[in-house]
Amino acid sequence: MAEALREAVVGSLNSLKQIAIIVIPLMIAMEILKDLGFLDRIADWLSPIVRIFGMKKESAFPLAIGIIIGLSYGAGIIFKAAKEYQLSRKDLYLITYFLVSAHAVFEDTAIFAALGVSASLLLLTRLSVAAIFTFLASKAIKDTEKGVNL
Amino acid sequence: MPYPTNSVTADTLKRGLKSGIEVTWQLAKVMLPIYFTVTLLKHTPVLDAIARFFAPLMGIFSLPGEAALVLVIGNLVNLYAAIGAIASLSLSLKEISILAIMLSFCHSLPVETALAKKIGLSAVSVIAARMALAVLSGLAFNLLL
Repeated sequence: MAEALREAVVGSLNSLKQIAIIVIPLMIAMEILKDLGFLDRIADWLSPIVRIFGMKKESAFPLAIGIIIGLSYGAGIIFKAAKEYQLSRKDLYLITYFLVSAHAVFEDTAIFAALGVSASLLLLTRLSVAAIFTFLASKAIKDTEKGVNL
Repeated sequence: MPYPTNSVTADTLKRGLKSGIEVTWQLAKVMLPIYFTVTLLKHTPVLDAIARFFAPLMGIFSLPGEAALVLVIGNLVNLYAAIGAIASLSLSLKEISILAIMLSFCHSLPVETALAKKIGLSAVSVIAARMALAVLSGLAFNLLL
């Protein structure tokens, strides 16, 4: 029992240290990138992609927020942007479908990378699968959700 | 724009440090209790029993039976809790990679499904889609890695 407790204390603190070493610098780097206008840049990269999904190009901004900041922290901003840019309900659905499969990608990837998993493999798989999935969803809900506004 | 472009100042670094510590703290709060529980379970027959029960199912992904615990915890609680469980079990890098991609697509179902529902998607379709992505990606990683 004492041995199990010692194993738990040492092991958990070690894992936590390993994760903190990666997560804290990453969050600092993300704040720097945000202040350098990185979010807008990502949104710019995403706008041709969201057009392929048949979405309004302004959808790229809330999508970028969710991909980087995550669902729980990003939800407020995503709702606000959807209203501001008058995104259709279908656009909002597709944003959500993309984001439920891929959100807070840098943070999640960093945490798994701390355990030794390849960061690029995780990140690329997650983003490309989310994109393919959203594309399929955009075909599937094409006709049923036309022009509904928030 | 919700995020205006500024220049990088000391405030930027302060915010980054704060959110880094915040994430680490959130992680610690969830991960430590799970790590402790699973480590203690390892020293009882309970974990073995769970592992044996789920071995056939997890075998589809070439995962050991106790990996089921990681998936259940990750889906019912969140990724941080799953990390605690992964770290406390002795899994190979390939096994952790398979769990990582499966959990990336499908985790924190109670909280995140509630958000998707608020936007107007049906809970069933969101959960079904995420589980399908998790299963497919887990199978693919098992074959390709």
